[in-house]
Amino acid sequence: MYKVGIDLGSSYTKGVIVDEQNKILDYHLTKTGFDFNKATQKIIDKFSSKYKIEYPVYTCGYGRDELKIPFVSNSEIIALSRAVFEVYKKKCSIIDIGGQDTKYVTINDLGQVEKFKMNRKCAAGTGSFIEEIAFRLDISAEDFNLLAERASEETKINSYCTVFAVSEIVGMIKKGSTMPNIILGIYNSIIERSIELSPVKDFLVLTGGIPDNHPMIVKLFQKKFANCVSPQKSQFFAAYGCVLLNK
Amino acid sequence: MSTEKPEIVKLQSVASLRKTMDDYFLRLKTAVDTGNKKIAWCTSVGPAELLYAMGFEVYFPENHGAMLGAGKVADKYIPTAVAQGYSPEICSYLTADIGAFLQNETPLQKMGFASVPKPDVLVYNTNQCHEVGDWFMYYANHFNVPIIGINTPLWISDLTPSIVTGIANQFKDLIPALEKVTGQKFDLEKFRETVALSHEGCVLWRKVLETGKHKPSPINFFDAAIHMGPIVVMRGTHYAVDYYKILLAELEERVKNNISAVPKERFRIYWDGMPLWYKLSSMAKLFSSLDTCIVASTYCNSWVFDDLDPKDPFESSAIAYCKLFIVRSDDAKQEVLEKLMKEFSIDGMIYHDAKTCSRNSNNRFGLQNRLNDKNNIPFLEINGDLCDSRCYSEEQSIIAIETFIKQLSTRK
Repeated sequence: MYKVGIDLGSSYTKGVIVDEQNKILDYHLTKTGFDFNKATQKIIDKFSSKYKIEYPVYTCGYGRDELKIPFVSNSEIIALSRAVFEVYKKKCSIIDIGGQDTKYVTINDLGQVEKFKMNRKCAAGTGSFIEEIAFRLDISAEDFNLLAERASEETKINSYCTVFAVSEIVGMIKKGSTMPNIILGIYNSIIERSIELSPVKDFLVLTGGIPDNHPMIVKLFQKKFANCVSPQKSQFFAAYGCVLLNK
Repeated sequence: MSTEKPEIVKLQSVASLRKTMDDYFLRLKTAVDTGNKKIAWCTSVGPAELLYAMGFEVYFPENHGAMLGAGKVADKYIPTAVAQGYSPEICSYLTADIGAFLQNETPLQKMGFASVPKPDVLVYNTNQCHEVGDWFMYYANHFNVPIIGINTPLWISDLTPSIVTGIANQFKDLIPALEKVTGQKFDLEKFRETVALSHEGCVLWRKVLETGKHKPSPINFFDAAIHMGPIVVMRGTHYAVDYYKILLAELEERVKNNISAVPKERFRIYWDGMPLWYKLSSMAKLFSSLDTCIVASTYCNSWVFDDLDPKDPFESSAIAYCKLFIVRSDDAKQEVLEKLMKEFSIDGMIYHDAKTCSRNSNNRFGLQNRLNDKNNIPFLEINGDLCDSRCYSEEQSIIAIETFIKQLSTRK
């Protein structure tokens, strides 16, 4: 019997199945859509084809309290912090960039949350910012990273607002800016929005779907902050933390 | 998270509160219907005592704005004011109120009013913000009635004699214009009586709020935000005094018997900033489900004008209305907050950053960090608004609040 952690995020639902030694046996991710139960069932089906699942499952995220199966819900920020501490075992700052939220968290030497802050009610600095711009410019989110790698210099994006940023980008294209340079600007704009949540002082851990899927963002963070890491599959950390909190 | 049904322990005084407020509106309606008294509109921390002393019935548009917010109808009216050139980023009391007026709708219609009571004069004090002046100007132009007021300097650090004298003189300067409206001479003795009643009401209100120092607290912010009605609109009358005697007696009884506002109080929070009027009930339930009581707030403490003194009504009015939290410098604000946080045994601080009320959002100039550096009491910032619910993300805020309480639990 293995414990399952599920992070029901605004864009994606992330699940992990964990053994007795706190080792993650498997991961699964699916679009959340509008039905939290359906998304969760997809995760459960995937895991139960290989493993025997123990109930309740441990949840966090926007849909944490909406399930029909037995569950115990958690705060995603506490869960994320728990997972990061499990891996690094020291005080640190965490920046988590997800679909709709960007979170800044500091944890102490005991792994306890000392401070946290979330983005304002605005898409700037979150995954939605990239998704919207990718859609408007007809570039796949995956191609973003490849294009940014080819940038010669940054074209600065000034707008806070996703919609105005798109208009601004159209203007830049007209003035001759290249798409790689613009995308580098978009990445830097996301970084600026996230680091204005709070000063980064300690060892910085980047987590979430954006660092996982846009390694260029991690490189850019590391240019600014030497003591910065982004573990693999970090978007599953909150789901993993849910299980750890309930061990 | 707790799966138990949240419980709110209701105050019995609610029935008296309702009657006190109903009677207040009835007096206003009588003035409208019969013309027995002139009607002054006043800002919520304006010179209510002077107006009551001079025989006016006093109507407070901010109270109306809060009614629109609490009634969850402000969003319906704000766009109408915005279409008239009022920015959605200015005071949403103002935009909701003017929007409702333009649509000829008001919750007062349920009490038999045809519209909001027509003013004979509009009287403001800019101690809270200058937007109240712009707000009243709209109605002054519409009704073609005089607008007068007190222009208080902002960001008061030390309340110097020159500030006090200047404001006291501005109080006096209002009198001739008010006499012209009422047709009656100002009566200093009557003013002293009104100031004495206001002082008594404010002291009672302070004592009501101070019952929150008890562990567990018999009152929470969500109760206080409702029960503050009389001190806002009837300050300077015996109606407010009578009501707060009733409320205080109930709270003292609760203290004696250890009856708490939140059944299992574990965490004690200070709330800085405006209430989210449209979320009072759901927030009360949320905090209760987290065994958390909001035991003190800047907002409710803002109507404690206990410096009022009938011996020197003008000077003491100047002092009381310039000591108001909102008009102080951040240094002075920090001192007040430190004191209250200590006295109320606060575990954590929540700052509501209201999109349309910068003056009541005290987390915009680093105060939250300075305070935290000094007293190491954790804080949370929530983005929202007093009336415009479109500025508030409930899901994100619930996650933040639940996390904050978990964070506090690791310190217990």
